[in-house]
Amino acid sequence: MIFLSRTLPLVIAFAFGMLGVIGYYVPHGDAQSLEREMALWVRIVFAFSYLLGLYSLLNLHWQRIRQRVAGWAYSLIAILSFAVMMVFVVYNDGLGPFAAQAEAGGYKWLFDNIHVPCTSTMFSILAFFIASAAYRTFRARTPEAAVLLIAAVIVMLGRVPIGRELSDLFPMATDWLLNVPNLAAKRGILLGVSLGAIATSLRIIFGIERSYLGGGAE
Amino acid sequence: MHKLLAIDRRIIFALVFISVAGPLLAGISLPITPTDEVKAAYDQFEKLDAGDIVLVSFSYGASTQPEMLPMSRAILHHAFRRDLKVVAICLWPEAPGLAQQVLEEMAAEFDLEYGVDYAFMGYKPGNFSVILNMGQDFHSAFPQDQWGAATGDLDLTRSLRSLRDFDLVLDLAAGDSIEFWWIPYGQEKYGFTFVAGCTAVMAPDLYPFLDSGQLGGLLGGLAGAAEYETLIDRRGSASTGMSAQSMAHLVITLFVIIGNIAYFAARLTSSEQRN
Repeated sequence: MIFLSRTLPLVIAFAFGMLGVIGYYVPHGDAQSLEREMALWVRIVFAFSYLLGLYSLLNLHWQRIRQRVAGWAYSLIAILSFAVMMVFVVYNDGLGPFAAQAEAGGYKWLFDNIHVPCTSTMFSILAFFIASAAYRTFRARTPEAAVLLIAAVIVMLGRVPIGRELSDLFPMATDWLLNVPNLAAKRGILLGVSLGAIATSLRIIFGIERSYLGGGAE
Repeated sequence: MHKLLAIDRRIIFALVFISVAGPLLAGISLPITPTDEVKAAYDQFEKLDAGDIVLVSFSYGASTQPEMLPMSRAILHHAFRRDLKVVAICLWPEAPGLAQQVLEEMAAEFDLEYGVDYAFMGYKPGNFSVILNMGQDFHSAFPQDQWGAATGDLDLTRSLRSLRDFDLVLDLAAGDSIEFWWIPYGQEKYGFTFVAGCTAVMAPDLYPFLDSGQLGGLLGGLAGAAEYETLIDRRGSASTGMSAQSMAHLVITLFVIIGNIAYFAARLTSSEQRN
């Protein structure tokens, strides 16, 4: 059992980790064929992850309905919305589920006229909450917060035409903020994150990091 | 001052609403000056010759459509006006419906022929692995278009073998596809010219890639779209929306300033009372 739960996953992680590195960096035809095959496998695995996500989402909402937790009616709407969309996806404007997606039909209508306006509305409501939150919490309590606040005000005005109308300094200062301190900070973060990702990947490939096996780090 | 700090948030909501709706209803227009990164993206399209092929990746969903649709529309308008060929793909599951909408709009405006002037390959799951797959073999990554026609049967896609066959690649993104998918697995590996359009909040993250040359140009949010509309001399919904966005930014800035003045005044009053 230790072989199946420990050794085999470690061997698979090592083999596919090394194959991924070889496929990316070695230009030889065989290595490239291998990379092509692996990219296809990843896509297939990725597609199956949607099923897991779907199960998780539906199960979560079903449990909320069963237990009648606060807001369970929203969960009911989520499941009903999924069911209605699914019916039209399977029907596919009369072509059936195995044909390519129809150019028009009930699914397209629901997507264009319900899904798009609803999600766009949800996103646009953010502007109201940001304004309210900025008024209540964006305070220059410390020198660092004051710097952040001044930079935010400059960039907010410098990125819109009214900033240039108020003063040419706003777009100039915005350009400087984005191209010097922002760029330096982002580059530093990216380098740090990338080096961390490389280190973690090597630890997984060589079996040093084993927490993904479920037993915690060893 | 304490009253000012405890202002009813509905008043804030009302002022934001007026600041957005007012300029739109009044039709206020403000001059828009393109930034260097948007000009760079525009120049990449200008460098191409008629008949060159552009790959456009739609990687955004409906929630960001108000920012991304005007951008998609402006760039595609520019591309088709210059007689460029466009192959559209989607790397987000929500994107096909949105991409179809803008492609159909452009096809009607320019009287384009499907399969010759443009092709729509639809959505494929797999994120970065689709990009790796396209680099190795485009037909294997997209064996059929969105409507079930074989990729080898379409005039435009028949001869495409790899990402190297595209004269320009454009990613319109609302997630991390630009920096974590396209640059490491596409642009770095296959060396094509790459430009991107993204939501406003994402744009600052991408400046290191502009500086390194991995990104040939960048459109950030509605402002980027409005600047692109200015460059192609076609005023669209982004340019119209900039007056509303300008007022909204101004109002939020005023809220921040007033909130801070009220906060410090209240703190001063409290410390005086304690003394």
